Amino acid sequence: MSASAAAVPTVRRGKSAQVRVQRFGAFLTSMIMPNLPAFLAWGLITTLFIAAGWTPNGILGGFGNADAMSWQGAATALAQAKDGTTFHQYVGLVGPMITYLLPLLIANAGGRIVYKDRGAVVASIVAVGMIVGSTVPMFLGAMIVGPASAWVMKKIDSIWAGKIRPGFEMLVDMFSAGIAGAAMAVGAFFLFAPVITSVSKALGHVVDAMASHQLLPLMSLIVEPAKVLFLNNAIGNGVLVPLGAQQVTQHGQSLLFLVEANPGPGFGILLAYTLLGVGVAKSSAPGAIIIQFFGGIHEVYFPFVLMKPMLIIAAILGGATGVATNVVFGSGLRGPAAPGSIIAVLAATPRGSYLGVILSVVLSAAVSFVVAAVILRAQRRRDLELGESGDLSAAIAQTEANKGKSSSALGSLSGAATAGAAGSTLVGTRPIHSIIFACDAGMGSSAMGASILRDKLRKAGLSDISVVNKAVANLEDGADIVISQSELTDRARRHAPTSRHLSVDNFLASPVYDDVVTEAKAAAATAGDRSAS
Amino acid sequence: MTDVLTRDLVVVPGTARTKDEAIREAGELLVSAGAVTPAYVEAMAERERSMSTYMGSFLAIPHGTDESKGQIVRSALCLIRYDEPIEWGPDKPVRVVVGIAGVGDEHLTILSKIALVFADPEQAARVLEVKDADELYQLISSVNEA
Repeated sequence: MSASAAAVPTVRRGKSAQVRVQRFGAFLTSMIMPNLPAFLAWGLITTLFIAAGWTPNGILGGFGNADAMSWQGAATALAQAKDGTTFHQYVGLVGPMITYLLPLLIANAGGRIVYKDRGAVVASIVAVGMIVGSTVPMFLGAMIVGPASAWVMKKIDSIWAGKIRPGFEMLVDMFSAGIAGAAMAVGAFFLFAPVITSVSKALGHVVDAMASHQLLPLMSLIVEPAKVLFLNNAIGNGVLVPLGAQQVTQHGQSLLFLVEANPGPGFGILLAYTLLGVGVAKSSAPGAIIIQFFGGIHEVYFPFVLMKPMLIIAAILGGATGVATNVVFGSGLRGPAAPGSIIAVLAATPRGSYLGVILSVVLSAAVSFVVAAVILRAQRRRDLELGESGDLSAAIAQTEANKGKSSSALGSLSGAATAGAAGSTLVGTRPIHSIIFACDAGMGSSAMGASILRDKLRKAGLSDISVVNKAVANLEDGADIVISQSELTDRARRHAPTSRHLSVDNFLASPVYDDVVTEAKAAAATAGDRSAS
Repeated sequence: MTDVLTRDLVVVPGTARTKDEAIREAGELLVSAGAVTPAYVEAMAERERSMSTYMGSFLAIPHGTDESKGQIVRSALCLIRYDEPIEWGPDKPVRVVVGIAGVGDEHLTILSKIALVFADPEQAARVLEVKDADELYQLISSVNEA
C-alpha cells in the first residue's frame, strides 16, 4: 500500500488528508456525543451545589466539614483548613464526576468504537491509570488512551485468534484482557499521565510569558484551546489568577481575571448551535447556555467544540475580542470571577469598569457567535445527513427504489451525498476490502443482502472482497463500506464512524449493489495498474 | 437440503389473510418444528412493528429481535407461499413469507439461496407460480444444489 500511496498525485493526497481530518472529527464526535447527558448532569450539579453556586451545599458540593455537619456516612477526605488544622471534608458529587466519571465515559466510548464491549472495558481500566497518574482532569488523555488501548487489545487478540483450544476461549479472553489492561494502566500512570501534565504546565508558562510582553489578545490562542481540553482550571487558577492578583495590588484591577472566565465565547458558540445545530447537539445547547452563561460552568460547552474542532477558531476570536476590548477600555476585574458566570463577573467588576467589562462579554459573544454560525452553516448539510434520518440520501434511496433501477444522475447524487456524509469521497480509486451489511437483528435481511452482493462481486471476479452481515448493535468500526436500511443508517454510523455508509431501501434489488460493484472494479483496476507500474 | 428448511416447513398455500396472521402462521410453524419457543413468535410481531421485514419482490422475512435470540432452540426457516397477495404495508404486496429463526450461521446458506432466487426476476416468478409445497420444495432444493 505504501508504494501505491507514493504514486498518488498531490491533489489526491490533499483530498485524502481532508478526508482523514473529517473521519477524525467523526470519531471524536462519537466519543463525546453519547456522553453529553453526563456533562449536562455534572454542569447542573456544579451550578447548584458548589460554594459559589446557586444553593451552596457542603455535602453535595464537596466543601463541607463532615465533623461539623449532621450527615454521616458519606465519603470524606482529609482537608486542611485555613488555620492549618485538618478536618474531614465531604467528597461530594462535583469532584468525582469531573475527575473520574467524565474521562472514564469518554475512554469507554472511544474503546467501544474501536473494539466493542471488550475495547470499552480495557479502555476504562487504562483510563483510571491516566486519571490517578495526574492532577489535571484527564479528558485529553482519555480521548487518546481510550481508543489506543482498545486497539492494542484488538491486536493482542488477533495474535491467537482461532488458535485457542475449544472450551478455553473465555478463560483466555478474560485473562488476556485483564493482564493487558492492568499493564497498560500502569504504563499510562507512569509514562503517559506525566506527559499530559507537563503539556498543561507548558501552556501555563507560555501564557505567563505573553502576559508580561503585552501580547494579551494573543493569549486567547493558547487559553481557548487549553480550556476545551479541560485545562481551564490549570490555566485560570494556576496562572492567570496569581498574575492578576499581582496586578490588582498595583492597579486595583486586572483584565487577566477575565481572559479565561469571560463567558462570552462559550455563549456565542452555544447560541450558534441552538440556532444552526443539528440533532442532539441542537436540542441540548439551550440548556447548556443557562448552565454556562449564568451558572458559569464553562465545561458544558467544551464538548460542543470538541465534536467540531473547527469551532475553536470561534472561541479564539471571541476570546481575543474580549481581551482587546478590555485593553482598549482599560477595564478589568478586582478579583477572580469564579465560576465564570456573568453574575460572578459583574459582581467582581469595579464601578469604573462596567462599560468595558460588559462590552467585552457582549462583543466576544457576538464575534464567536458569528464565526461559529459561519462554520456550522457551511457544514450543516453534511451534519443533517449525519444526524437526522429524514435525510437526503434516504430520500434518494427511496426515489431510486421506486424507479427500480438507478438513474445515473440520481446515482451520482446519492454517491456524493452519502460520501459527503461519511466524510469520504466516492472516487473509484480507493481499494475496497471489506463490506458489512447491517440490519436490526443480523439474521435476516442483512444476510440476504450480503448474499446478493457477494454473488454479484463473485461474478465480477472480485471474490477477495469480504462481505459479511451483522446486527447493527454488534457493528464494529473499520470496514470500508457499511450498507444498511435507510432507517438504520444513523445508528450504523454511530457504531462505525469511520466507515463509508450506504443506505438501501430494497435489499433484493437495490441499485446501490451495482454501484458498489462498479466502484470495486474500478478500484481493483487502479490498484492493479499501480502495482504494475 | 439440510435440516434448517425441511419439507414440513414448506407450506403452499398459506391460510393467513393479513400481515399479523401471516407472521403468526410462520411463527407457529417454527414452534411446531421445535425450533423456537412461543415467546419468539411475540418477538417476531414486535420486530415487525418496529421495522418492516418487507424485502421487495413479493417477499417478507419475519424474524425476531436481536434480544430474542435466546428463544431460538435451533436455527430453522419456514417458507409459505400465498395465493393472494397480503398487504404488508401500503404498496407492499407479499406472496412469499420466509420465517427465520437464526442463531449462528447454519441458516445463512439456505437464506442466501432464497435471496438469490428472489434477486432474479425469472426465478422469483417461478416461485409465485408453483402448484404445491412439493414443487416449491423441489425448486428451492434445486437452487440449493446448483
